[in-house]
Amino acid sequence: MANSVNISIEAPIENQIQEITYDGQEIYQAPLSMSENLARLAQKIDFSKSDDEFCNVKKEGETSSDPKPDEDNKDAGYQSNQWPWESVRNKLRNALTEVCVLADVLNIAKEKRYMVLDPVQPEQVDNRPMVQVYGRKKALGAAAAVLLAGVERLRASENMRINRNMPDFHIDLLRLRQNWRLKKVSNTIVGDLSYRTAGSKFSQTGVFEVTKAPEEQMMQAMSLNAAGPAPSALRVTVPPELQGVAFISVLCQKEQEDVVTATLSSSALNCPGTLPGDGAELHWQQKLEAAQNVLFCKELFARLAAEAVQLDASIPHMVVGNQIMATVLPGIQLLIGLCHNNGQNNTNTNPEGVKSDGAAGKSDHDHVLEHSLHQLLRAVHYANTHHPFPHPATGPLGPSKRRCLAGPMAADRYELLDMSKEQSLLEQIIQQAQHFFMRRRSEYVLDTIAKEVKDPLIVSHWNALNSPTQSCVKINIMAYGYDAVCRTSLVVHVGEKTLKCICRDGKVRHLSYELQELRDLIYCQIYQHQMTAVQAVGRCMGWQLLASSAHLGSGPVEPLGNASSCLLASPNGDRMIAIRCEPSVGIQVFIAQSPRKDFFSSELVQDKKWENLGGAFKEIKLEKMEGKNFLNKMELLMACLSSPS
Amino acid sequence: MHRNLPQNKEALLKSYTTRLKEDIKSMLENFEEIIKLAKGERGESESQLNRMTQIEQDTFEMQVRAANIVRAGESLMKLVSDIKQYLILNDFPSVNEAITQNSKLFRTKQQECDQKLMSLRDDIAADLYDLEDEYFTSIYK
Repeated sequence: MANSVNISIEAPIENQIQEITYDGQEIYQAPLSMSENLARLAQKIDFSKSDDEFCNVKKEGETSSDPKPDEDNKDAGYQSNQWPWESVRNKLRNALTEVCVLADVLNIAKEKRYMVLDPVQPEQVDNRPMVQVYGRKKALGAAAAVLLAGVERLRASENMRINRNMPDFHIDLLRLRQNWRLKKVSNTIVGDLSYRTAGSKFSQTGVFEVTKAPEEQMMQAMSLNAAGPAPSALRVTVPPELQGVAFISVLCQKEQEDVVTATLSSSALNCPGTLPGDGAELHWQQKLEAAQNVLFCKELFARLAAEAVQLDASIPHMVVGNQIMATVLPGIQLLIGLCHNNGQNNTNTNPEGVKSDGAAGKSDHDHVLEHSLHQLLRAVHYANTHHPFPHPATGPLGPSKRRCLAGPMAADRYELLDMSKEQSLLEQIIQQAQHFFMRRRSEYVLDTIAKEVKDPLIVSHWNALNSPTQSCVKINIMAYGYDAVCRTSLVVHVGEKTLKCICRDGKVRHLSYELQELRDLIYCQIYQHQMTAVQAVGRCMGWQLLASSAHLGSGPVEPLGNASSCLLASPNGDRMIAIRCEPSVGIQVFIAQSPRKDFFSSELVQDKKWENLGGAFKEIKLEKMEGKNFLNKMELLMACLSSPS
Repeated sequence: MHRNLPQNKEALLKSYTTRLKEDIKSMLENFEEIIKLAKGERGESESQLNRMTQIEQDTFEMQVRAANIVRAGESLMKLVSDIKQYLILNDFPSVNEAITQNSKLFRTKQQECDQKLMSLRDDIAADLYDLEDEYFTSIYK
């Protein structure tokens, strides 16, 4: 153990350090004496924490005999009063008092000399059970009555709906939902009747509110018309600016006189919504449709008004209040007015429309222009939502079909510029109105000519296939009974401001909107027809056409066209007929014959053979001849002249 | 089936479920309380009140609880109505079906009308041709 190390072992500190002096010396507390230690431990015992009587009794026994210092210590811990064992003494004294009292009581009970202990009757609990039973019965009865009343109320409302055929709110709501857009905003049901989803870009909203109709009103309505359709359980509230009935009146005015009155949705005039105060009873479907119509009319008018301001026409369009004025043809104006009758104040915003309605009555209503306006706006809506393919699936924009084709077709700048032009609604409706007038005028001219000219019949057939800005009429000129021999036909295309005539010979003539031009053309055609027809009749009769000229240079100058003539010879050549036709004069017929009857040999012409030369032409008084018409007369004349005299 | 419902829709549907549960729970609890009151299980031991007062109180409590049951029932009716409304307003498949059906109906109607109008136009055009012929060849004009 050479390298052993000395280990100093020190006992652990058993005593607590009381103080450490500055030189590091520790001052220990003196260890507790045995009695102090006992007092400290006894202090920790809690005598009150005892759960059974026995323990208590035992503790009492202990306290009575020995544990004076314990109690003392404990009390000394809690209350360091003047004397450490005072509380213990107090408790012991109390215990003594109680024990004395107990002993006295026991003595008294035992002795029975002065006092007797009697058992006390407990208070009667169930003295009156029936009262309780009755009370509970009553309470249950009252509760049952409340429940029954509630059930009765539910059942009554259900019965009322079933028995009296009351309309169900939810079924009505379902029907409404199937036809209109609805959504719930907080506690109200809000619908939208605008044409947004159909492609409209009008800024005004068409929001309406759906509520439940009050039951009393439904009952009232049901009692009023028991036989009629059941009233709806829905109440639809439309914003005031969309209430009532609106329509767009389209008027074409000539100077100040009305030519045509077309009212947009004039059928809506008969709608019961126009009657004030009746709006409440209106079915929601009709009410919403009327409101939608109002919205549509407003959009249409707003668009037309904006276009009227933007367009720079030669004669500027005017927008005054609720009216747009545009010039269709010289002297003819197109008036488009928005009439909105919103039920409350029965004032029509378009006094002109009212006046014309009152004056002209309903017979003049023409629905064509109103319908066209409707169609045009709907086409715009359609174009807003339907873009030609291909277009990006996510974007609403795409090139138009024509622009798609522009690349492959190598369109030049002008064509592309042309594509970018779009006709506005107003322009289109003006074109339609122009066409309408052109058609009316052409009809009028053709009819009057047919009335004026009796001899060749002028038959015009209007084509059933036409477009709003183009129609077509075929005119046949022929004579009665000779329609197989000769007929002249020509086709007139009626456009917006011009007429295009395609004649029999293939010539195309463009006419302006002036009526006189068409009139002149038809007259020329009539006389041309007469000349060709006479030649055809002559050919049928075996006569020879010697000469014909459509444009004679002789005679007075015609105001329209030129005079024409032809010369026919009889089959054996002894008679000749000359016909001259001047549009301003009419038809003149001359005959000559050879050998001439009035040939007398003169000194100059002595030889007899010269009588075969034919004599002077003599005019025939056509009107005195027999025959139904000119060709018939000519036929008779030819027949007469063909016979050997 | 999980669908990506918006937050507020989800919350609304949850609120419907909680309303249903609460109402039914309220009915049940109130009913149980009434039964307990009727049995007299409660308040016997610590009853400090006069017996008649106790009976009156029980009567009143039963009435209130019965009224609570009725209220819960009506609240359930309201819930049914709300759910119906929600279904009607948000049942897009059925709305789409209705729209498809409607559009089909209107398309067939349109076709019918077009056909009728076409045949009418053809008839009228043919008749008009004859009438025009007749009119213009007659002497009465």
